[in-house]
Amino acid sequence: MSQVFEPLRQQLLDAASTFTDGPAALPEILAGLVDDVDHSLAEPLEIFPVCHHSPASALAMGRRLREKQPKVIYLELCEDLQPLLTELRNCRLPVALQAFASELEGFPATWGPLSVVAPVTEASAEYQAIAYALETPGVELVLVDRSADHVFQWAPDEPDGQDREEPEDDLHGDAVGVEIGDLRPRFAELEQHLLHHGQVRHWSEWWDQYVEQPLAGADHDTYRQVMTLVGSLFRRLTPAGTRRLESDEERERFMWTRIRSHLAQSGVEREDCLYVCGAFHAVSRVAEAGSQPGTPDLEITPRSGTTWLYGLIPSSHSAIEAQFGLAPGSVSIAAATWEKGLNRFGLKPFRLQGQKGTRRRAAKALPPAVAAEPATDRLTEYLAAPAAPGGLDDEELRGWCVDLVRLARRNGYLASTADAIAVYETSVLLASMRGRARPTPYDFQDAAVTCIEKDVVPGRRDVRRLCEILLGGDKVGQVGYEALPPLAKDVHDRLEPLGLDLQARKIRRALIDLVANPELAGCSRLLWRLQYLLPGHAVRTVMGSRRLGERSVQESWDLDLGRHQRTLIELGYEGVTAEQVLEQRLRRSVRDPKATAADALDAVEDSLRLLDSPRLSDELGIRAVELLAAERTVDDAPLVLARIRRLIAYFESPAHPGGSLPSWCEQFVKAGYAHYCTLLPMSFADEETGVRQVAAMLGFLFSMESLALSLGCERTQLEMSVQQSVPHGPAKTALFWAARHQLGDLAVGDLRHNCDELLANPLVLPSFPHYVSGFVHALEPVPRLAPFVVETLSKAFARLPDPVLLPWLPTLITTLKQDAPELVPVLTREAGRTFPGTLSALDTWTAPWNRMAQKSPAPRQLPVPAASTARRLLDAHPLTALGVAALLGRTSEWSAAPAVAAPDQEPAVIGPAKKLRETHPDTTDAMASLIGG
Amino acid sequence: MSDILRAPAEVKYAEELDWLESVDTGSKPFSWRLSPKMVRTFVLGSERADGLNREITQKWFGDRSIVERAIVTLASDRGLLLIGDPGTGKSWLAELLAAAISRNSTLVVQGTAGTTEDHIKYSWNVSMVIAKGQSRDSMIPSPIMTAMEGGVIGRFEELTRSTSDVQDALISILSEKYVSIPELDDNNIVFAKPGFSVIATANSRDRGVNDLSSALKRRFNFVRIPVVTNKKSEAEIVRFRTEELLRRHAIDLEVPPTLLDVLLQSFADLRTASAAATSDDEKLESALSTAEQIGVLEDAVLHSTFFGERELTAQTLAGSLVGSLARRSPEDLAILSTYWHGVIEPRSQNEGGEWTGFLEGGRQAISVLS
Repeated sequence: MSQVFEPLRQQLLDAASTFTDGPAALPEILAGLVDDVDHSLAEPLEIFPVCHHSPASALAMGRRLREKQPKVIYLELCEDLQPLLTELRNCRLPVALQAFASELEGFPATWGPLSVVAPVTEASAEYQAIAYALETPGVELVLVDRSADHVFQWAPDEPDGQDREEPEDDLHGDAVGVEIGDLRPRFAELEQHLLHHGQVRHWSEWWDQYVEQPLAGADHDTYRQVMTLVGSLFRRLTPAGTRRLESDEERERFMWTRIRSHLAQSGVEREDCLYVCGAFHAVSRVAEAGSQPGTPDLEITPRSGTTWLYGLIPSSHSAIEAQFGLAPGSVSIAAATWEKGLNRFGLKPFRLQGQKGTRRRAAKALPPAVAAEPATDRLTEYLAAPAAPGGLDDEELRGWCVDLVRLARRNGYLASTADAIAVYETSVLLASMRGRARPTPYDFQDAAVTCIEKDVVPGRRDVRRLCEILLGGDKVGQVGYEALPPLAKDVHDRLEPLGLDLQARKIRRALIDLVANPELAGCSRLLWRLQYLLPGHAVRTVMGSRRLGERSVQESWDLDLGRHQRTLIELGYEGVTAEQVLEQRLRRSVRDPKATAADALDAVEDSLRLLDSPRLSDELGIRAVELLAAERTVDDAPLVLARIRRLIAYFESPAHPGGSLPSWCEQFVKAGYAHYCTLLPMSFADEETGVRQVAAMLGFLFSMESLALSLGCERTQLEMSVQQSVPHGPAKTALFWAARHQLGDLAVGDLRHNCDELLANPLVLPSFPHYVSGFVHALEPVPRLAPFVVETLSKAFARLPDPVLLPWLPTLITTLKQDAPELVPVLTREAGRTFPGTLSALDTWTAPWNRMAQKSPAPRQLPVPAASTARRLLDAHPLTALGVAALLGRTSEWSAAPAVAAPDQEPAVIGPAKKLRETHPDTTDAMASLIGG
Repeated sequence: MSDILRAPAEVKYAEELDWLESVDTGSKPFSWRLSPKMVRTFVLGSERADGLNREITQKWFGDRSIVERAIVTLASDRGLLLIGDPGTGKSWLAELLAAAISRNSTLVVQGTAGTTEDHIKYSWNVSMVIAKGQSRDSMIPSPIMTAMEGGVIGRFEELTRSTSDVQDALISILSEKYVSIPELDDNNIVFAKPGFSVIATANSRDRGVNDLSSALKRRFNFVRIPVVTNKKSEAEIVRFRTEELLRRHAIDLEVPPTLLDVLLQSFADLRTASAAATSDDEKLESALSTAEQIGVLEDAVLHSTFFGERELTAQTLAGSLVGSLARRSPEDLAILSTYWHGVIEPRSQNEGGEWTGFLEGGRQAISVLS
């Protein structure tokens, strides 16, 4: 142990003994802090402690790199992200390095897709290190932290995403964030205590005031010692045995193991290296820490079989704040502080060549490295001095007050110069009340809210947000074209003919006139595919549709790919072109263990709509046949019916290029006919199966019957299955009757008779509505039953007592609306035909079914003259009549009519002739005159 | 026991204020009796780190930055307008601030529909005017004018309840800081002394602050006081205020912490329900503020002291809760009844404890009212 810190150690121990009575943990902690700093400084491989998004760290890093010019930099960042770093050149910061996996192996399937993001901002120490290493020849950058795979291997349980509402906050999606130098008290009481006594509201504010500002201009030794001290403080006050500490220690073992193996392989001197890690890790005391050869290594577990894909996604200040629980606006304030620090200390930051959003500067050769001097104690001075009077200077504060008032006015606030003065005064007063010599940005924010915000108007930006905008605003990064995955590049290339700047962060309206510009058809097709693949707001149709068999002449689109870069990039992890991804997704959807025939039919429809690939459609269709044959329930029958009807209609329409049914479709109808015939008796009897399902099955059987029979199905199969059926419940009974009616077993008269009996029986009367429901459902398979259904409904309304009728009416309406919206027009049309259209006609109106009942007993008046005319005609030409009869296959003797025939007694023999005469009077008359009858 | 039913804060905490003043070394704006930091200590209570060798209790519970912003506003050129739902402690905070800064919290104008400009400026003693003519002697200054003359804080309660033209009388007082008396020939301007400011309160529930003219809005800093939703600090407030009320009634009765939890939980439930309601009929008329909780508890305590077993039970608490929240006959009762059957009943079956008695008491109270 060196003697450099001996006086400080002694001072702290004295203090500990003064303030505590008897043995306590305090002396151990205080002395431990100094020991930790000492230990960390003694490491021959220089450890550079950093804190995330800390401009002071970035400034100190810039200075140190210039002084030391290390040959190797070890960086605390997932090791598998290394190849991405050079791509940072093509992006505008902040962006996030992402590792993404959707095909999991060795992890629970419910975790997927896995995603790890590491955001990079310009005002960070890691960016300085990366830029220095990539721009200086002969410098190697080695990422040493555990890989993305290990992040999840070591995850305690399911990684949960936080709920975020702001769209800008959602740039990272539900990824797990990793960052360099996470430094924050590990238990809530300590943080609460620090916040309370620092008179600040948020941790970022405390950090800014007590660490960031005093260290902004500090020399390397002070910076390094103080950061190590803070890291040591938090480490020593971490509750032991927590899951998080374990994982941190595991990571330290991992990093040191990687560093030692790299040192051994490359043979580089330890003095020429720099290890950049969080201050928390700089004071690690695990056995595996240290660059000394021979230190025990960590047994690194192999990665799982999961395939990881890597890319860059855009990030933003607010997304970083939301992900890592920083105060809103703190990253923006850090960026502003960084710029200010650069100017104040005249530093030149390291930047990647060609970095977007930065000014182009000629890279100058670095001055020669400065030799290191032995460390001296800088801690005593730092700890003894009061907090430096940082904060805003008067000039800056005045400028902010004026700018804020201007901004507020632009945003609809009634703010005036008087308000600027009040904000200034209030911020100074607030700062003095909180024991600060000068107001901090946070005091300024409070003062602005007090003086300017009078009422809350929804939709208007509040003053707090305005302050954030003023203090730098949210900065959103962008991934450049060159760093995009092939799919995203391809999409941008193919949308080129639209002539829009799709990288811009605003909504672009694309108008596509497919008649005037047929060459844009390719763009239109791609946009429909993208809309299907990226549900949300990246691509939205304003006008135009692409249902099965439809093509719009004009289309209008809202394209927001600039702001939804992440979704497009993540789509790029799935394949090389949008078509390939679409094909994969459709295939996957039908191969899913939970896929049903209805899903497969849906996939067929999507493939026909979006892809011109008959081969794929056929493949999906064949899968639909397989799925249907394997199904044991009929829950999806209504969906299957609707979809196959739509598909058959499309295949038979002129829109379909082939013009004939594909073979899978024929197979589907055949298989469906057999399948539903088999399941019909069971479904009728099964309590669980609904009326709607059975109706849909019957619908399939009846409406596809002619097609199925032409393909070789047997009608007896259907007849037998109906015969075997024993319906359960009134609704299915009604459906059963309707089915028998369709098959010719039951006439309408019998149906009517059944219903009348039900209505007459007071015991079954309460369940009559269920019968009616059954009949309504029967409209689907037996549409010609419509007049009868209207009749039954009218009878139900007329004769059901109110206590039965009224509770049922809402059910009827909701059932019709939800389950059978397509049947409503059929019913209303039929009702319109049946009932009178005017009020006056209602008085004299009798329902057709009542009319028929009155008419039926009346004797039928037969038009005798017509009959006898026919008879006379035949009698006059018996030979001709016999000849015709022989042609028709009937040979017999001619027998003349009785001489005197009673006019109302028609002989049975002349029945057919009479009918012929009745139906075609003109023809028979003309024929009679022709042959002279 | 003093012969004042409710002593104003400066009387009640006179001893504490004297002591604070004696140890206060900070710089004091204008004629303030305490420095801003001490005012904050008086309102929010002391901590060890303040280095005072006596404990100052916390009197107002809420976010520290709210109090700081309020104090700072009073030290600046503008008036302070406290806005919030009824029962969030606006008037109490105003009283504490006035007591701490100027040792006088009684210069209050109550805003009502009947408030006239005379109540804000001055009026005349008619008989004296007839006898001696108009002079400063026959003038009756308003509380605000008295505050101006003394360089102390004046208060205006429920500012938005008074009509706009009356409110606008404040504009010149707040910007020019004087009131002229045109009826007099000489000595006809009353100038405000340094230290004068106005604390107004406004209710964000019924009419809102939009009725204020923008000229007046400009002269006030608005500090919004949120409804306390943090259960821990709410429990603290209810306990603090009830103890005070009990002391006032000289009642010695223990409020069991489990019952306090029951009360807080039921209010929290009802607040959630109110927030989720889509129409006014679906939510209770009451704002369900902390003050309302205190009212319920006080009611229950008084009831059990005078008519009960001198012990607070869950039944009594449920009775007072129903009694004070059921204001509109069909709507509020229906909501409470739904709440009782849908939430309290299962809870009493699952958790038992005080909830069983609470269920019983509530049922009785609802059946009596409906």
